Amino acid sequence: MMSWWTDYEFMRNALMAGALVGLLCAVLGVFVVQRNMAFFGEGLAHAAFGGVALGLLIDLASRSPALAWVKPIWVAFPFCIVVAWGIGWVRNRGFATEGTAVGVFFSVSVALGILFIHVKDGPVGDLEGYLFGNILAVRRIDVYAALVLTVIVGGILAVTWKRMAYIAFDRDLAKLSGIPVERYDYLLLTMMACVIVLSVRTVGVLLVSSFLIIPAATARILGGSLFAMTIKATAVGVACSAFGLVLSFYVDVPSGATVILTLAAGFTLALATSAVRGTRVEI
Amino acid sequence: MIEPRVHPSGERVLEVENVEVAVAGKTILRDVNFHVVRGEFLCLLGPNGSGKSTLLKCFLGFVQPVRGTIRIFGDTPERARRRLGYLPQLKEFDRSFPATSVELVVASLRGEWPIRIANDERDKALAALKKVKAEKLADKPLRGLSGGETQRVFLARALVTDPDLLLLDEPAAGVDAAGREDLYGLLHEIAHCDHLAAVMVTHSVAAMDRTAEKIAFIDGTVRAFGLPQELFSDANLLARLGGHGPDGIAPK
Repeated sequence: MMSWWTDYEFMRNALMAGALVGLLCAVLGVFVVQRNMAFFGEGLAHAAFGGVALGLLIDLASRSPALAWVKPIWVAFPFCIVVAWGIGWVRNRGFATEGTAVGVFFSVSVALGILFIHVKDGPVGDLEGYLFGNILAVRRIDVYAALVLTVIVGGILAVTWKRMAYIAFDRDLAKLSGIPVERYDYLLLTMMACVIVLSVRTVGVLLVSSFLIIPAATARILGGSLFAMTIKATAVGVACSAFGLVLSFYVDVPSGATVILTLAAGFTLALATSAVRGTRVEI
Repeated sequence: MIEPRVHPSGERVLEVENVEVAVAGKTILRDVNFHVVRGEFLCLLGPNGSGKSTLLKCFLGFVQPVRGTIRIFGDTPERARRRLGYLPQLKEFDRSFPATSVELVVASLRGEWPIRIANDERDKALAALKKVKAEKLADKPLRGLSGGETQRVFLARALVTDPDLLLLDEPAAGVDAAGREDLYGLLHEIAHCDHLAAVMVTHSVAAMDRTAEKIAFIDGTVRAFGLPQELFSDANLLARLGGHGPDGIAPK
């Protein structure tokens, strides 16, 4: 029954990386949903496309044996962080609203991505895999990266979660309580950028923002305090990621789409249950 | 109207000197001068866009004046934040946030959002909620509260840290009639408190009537400042209706 686990290393890698990014996206997704930053998540996912395209263009892996490990996805990390900080800076300085800033950076990143791919000589590699997710592309190093990021993000949130939660409730009141709100904004944006880039392998650029939003939105329907919502979102994110990946293996369909549809099924079930119980909440 | 009274300490809680404020390069307030002493309740009145809410944001340290100084207990607003209590407008926060009233009050007490609430923190939060007659709302989710109940809980949140200066931005806007009356009753009690000073932005004559010991008319600057009894005397009202400023009541 579990032959896929013992026989296929790529499935073990995909499942471990998928469960970890499911966890990370769910935990950060609670802040994304509470702070109405869904479009921000979408924008950063598209910025990841620009980053991957830049990675494909400069192709560091082929330039030196010492850089052989630098796949295009690694270039997307700094690229996406810079874009996230850029959006945050434009918003915090009041030059534009968050929606407008995301809209501009999002389009510019995608435009740059298209340009980078156009000017690159030769094959561009597994571009489709980056757009739609490809579990075959998940290697052992991606699992290690997910593990390292989980430890780092987990450590940061263990220290900052209570202050992040206060900011999510109300920025002004958090400021009045002495919390340096803007610094925490940049910290959250950095974590979001890293987690989104990491998730691109599993679900792809086009679907990654759903990975952030659906578990948290489902947890919000299920009710409870913000902390309970975080725990529930994590459970939903990890369980649906694992189930969706295994299902995609057996049915032989794209992994990213299957994971997102599994999450959507969980969301619909939670919504229907809350409607029947009369406990529907605004999400 | 509240009778004028002498505040025993006379300590200056808030001092505003020659303040000029610009937003997006446009000057919206200039030459603002006044002070508030401990125990005093000041209402900021003025038409929409007159700059009164912006002035309140300066007191909170959210907007920086381009000229002049604002001192709260002799300190900058940023450094004095822990001595401030703030009640925002009802529309300014997300009422669907998954939180109970007691969590919100404890968050103010701690300066961070609580995961678990210790007994002593809960006791302090309940005492603050009791002050605003909202102890029964302690474990209710915010999303289930009416506008008036929400503002009472937020008033408890503002009072739980035992502030010296309370800043209120149109606290009754968007609240139904019954909720407004409850809120004015609570603010009336605060206006009679000797140790707590308050500055309230309002459009409501009823709110002003129940609370104001001093009034500042703001319209790009301080058009008039003084006791309500003086500003609303028959002679001054007539002068204002005739388009002239109230005689003898210059900005102080």
